[in-house]
Amino acid sequence: MAQVEKFSYDNAIVRNFAYATIVFGLVGFLVGLLAALQLVFPEANLGLAETTFGRIRPLHTNAAIFAFVGNGIYMGVYYSLQRLCKAPMYSKLLSNIHFWGWQAIILAAAITLPLGITSAKEYAELEWPIDIAIALVWIVFGINMFGTILKRREQHLYVAVWFYIATWITITVLHVGNNLEVPVSLWKSYPVFAGVQDALVQWWYGHNAVAFFLTTPYLGLMYYFLPKAANRPVYSYKLSIIHFWALIFIYIWAGPHHLLYTSLPDWAQSLGTVFSIMLIAPSWGGMLNGLLTLRGAWDRVRQDPILKFMVVAVTAYGMATFEGPMLSIKSVNAISHFTDWTIGHVHIGTLGWNGFLTFGVLYWLLPRIFNTKLYSVKLANAHFWIGTLGILFYAIPLYFAGWTQSLMWKQFTPDGFLEYGNFLETVTQILPMYGLRAIGGALYIAGYLLCMYNLIQTVRSGKLQAYEPAEAPARPKAYVPHKGEHWHRWIERRPVQLLVGSTIAILIGGLVEIFPMVLIDENVPKIESVKPYTPLELAGRDLYIKEGCLGCHSQMVRPFRSETERYGEYSKSGEFIYDRPFLWGSKRTGPDLHRVGGKYSHSWHYNHMLDPTSMSPGSIMPPYPWMIDNDLKYDDIADKIRVLRLLGTPYPEGFEEKAAADLEQQAAEIAEGLRKDGIDDPNLEQKEIVALIAYLQRLGTDIKPKAQATN
Amino acid sequence: MLAFPAGMAYAKRYIKMYKYILESAGDINWMAIFALTTFFFIFIMAAVTALLSKPEMMNKMANMPLEDSYSFTAETADQDEK
Repeated sequence: MAQVEKFSYDNAIVRNFAYATIVFGLVGFLVGLLAALQLVFPEANLGLAETTFGRIRPLHTNAAIFAFVGNGIYMGVYYSLQRLCKAPMYSKLLSNIHFWGWQAIILAAAITLPLGITSAKEYAELEWPIDIAIALVWIVFGINMFGTILKRREQHLYVAVWFYIATWITITVLHVGNNLEVPVSLWKSYPVFAGVQDALVQWWYGHNAVAFFLTTPYLGLMYYFLPKAANRPVYSYKLSIIHFWALIFIYIWAGPHHLLYTSLPDWAQSLGTVFSIMLIAPSWGGMLNGLLTLRGAWDRVRQDPILKFMVVAVTAYGMATFEGPMLSIKSVNAISHFTDWTIGHVHIGTLGWNGFLTFGVLYWLLPRIFNTKLYSVKLANAHFWIGTLGILFYAIPLYFAGWTQSLMWKQFTPDGFLEYGNFLETVTQILPMYGLRAIGGALYIAGYLLCMYNLIQTVRSGKLQAYEPAEAPARPKAYVPHKGEHWHRWIERRPVQLLVGSTIAILIGGLVEIFPMVLIDENVPKIESVKPYTPLELAGRDLYIKEGCLGCHSQMVRPFRSETERYGEYSKSGEFIYDRPFLWGSKRTGPDLHRVGGKYSHSWHYNHMLDPTSMSPGSIMPPYPWMIDNDLKYDDIADKIRVLRLLGTPYPEGFEEKAAADLEQQAAEIAEGLRKDGIDDPNLEQKEIVALIAYLQRLGTDIKPKAQATN
Repeated sequence: MLAFPAGMAYAKRYIKMYKYILESAGDINWMAIFALTTFFFIFIMAAVTALLSKPEMMNKMANMPLEDSYSFTAETADQDEK
């Protein structure tokens, strides 16, 4: 028997991350509520660019994912890893750098996103300096985590730790892969990939951000905290082994299900569908393993709010992971994609799985590190029921809205015309559902306020045990394997080999999908008539990105009759070869814009941006008066041209020197057209709106558009 | 600001090389088949290993979260609540 060693667990860092997740949870939820309200009352944007839907939607998603869930992950990992390894964290300094570095990144996101500084990639909107900071802080976390694992006193690694290791390596690969970009200036960059390739890389990232940031680390937390809260071991450890390997291998392949019926080649779409459906097996294996852990303890679930939160969290995981594969079936996706169904689906995951598991862990963990008991079980129970009601009020109306709107988009008259040719009709129809969704969100927040009060009172009633004494025998230097042991026993003792194995498992899927796509030209057929954007169009495109227009408007006409009748010719992959970044979007709160070029006059766009209801009565699009007032800044246009040419856009040598003059000339032509239509502003050609009009009028015109319906 | 032009040129040269290698490989379906086979291999290995593992070892692993050196348990915490 090895000598027993005394050491202490660092609870102070766990407390810090717990406080951060509590505070940023509220911020993320409130910003989400503000965004939800704007879909019913557009004036809730307060008339400010910084608080308008397009800019705060990424703020909401980033706050929820990286601030609330991110800090929740670190809270749970720092608590459980020390205890599973029977060792304190490797370095207090690295723990503190990790904590403060991550909060600084969140602060940077909270400043830059409302200012419109964004790379336009969903869940990866932050610009390149912040991307580098994220990478550095993530590496600090990794060193601290692996350092702790390497100096552990426990011979074997519990399954939760495998999930932490797989999370770390996969997020590293995804973050680097999706943020390969060339800077133009401190706050502007263009991605290395363009169009359909950029879309594939983005959704390889986007899907796996859900998989490896919102799911695998939380599965690790489930495997640790659910047995702790239930005071019984996990139902089947064997199942957890199969769950782990199958899940991390399959998840990485599923990204293309975000791009079904788009310009992505069919083989990549099919791979995404097949692996998405296969995902049900490991996901439900994990869910059942969690729920069956409570066998014989269901009487306690009735009384214990912590277990209630965890049961609903695991159930929500099961629901979301059943729904996800179903939505990946092409015929279902044809209906669900671009609608609110997807929003409902992801919120079952975030509000139910991530939110409720975080609340369960907070209620379990804070009383323990503060050496006290929970202030009020009744308040926690009230939080549970109000929160559950909030999730139902949030998701059910959105499912209803998604189906309703999609069926309206696809409805034809007996004569073969679109029944709802005006897109706006399909929006006003579902406004009551948007209202109910906002009520659901408000209920969820109301429950959360009870949670905050309860936790604050709990903390006030106790005293933090910052360094908790512990003892454990030292790990024997030479481990004697059991006779005939399996390879898995072997790898469970070797974190580095486990890291390598996980890396291989997650890389195979990514490489098979992305490498051929990126490297073989025939996957993206060129179209002779597709030309690079003019400098003014490029400036307008960057404004489109800045204002977050892609949060509500897609640029991808799918090959359905209902879409080609409404918008015009379906989108071809060759049309996007100069699109850096791609702007296909993932949601149509407004109509698709890929064929909007030439459909309306310049003055229609001008008036529409000034007051959307003047052109589309009843529209819920916010007005953009600042685009009419703001002067267009184009002092970096030469650098933009230079970077794009470096990346492969065929601008002629020396064109950057003429770009500003070219931009001014096109702006003057558009301003002239506007004046002919009676818009009287002496400085029209200097305004942002002119660049936006140039871009919108260019969209989809490289090949001849044809549309019958009005947007 | 214009960054990394020389690096980009090198990167392009290497991409061309890999592109040549991939194109020389002809039909790339083998990559998908290879990946699927690898998955089934890993899955079957994990399943077989898990199913053949000794119950004592599995019990020991499953009980790890319950055996940290902290004296609180969910049961005692519950009793405190009551």
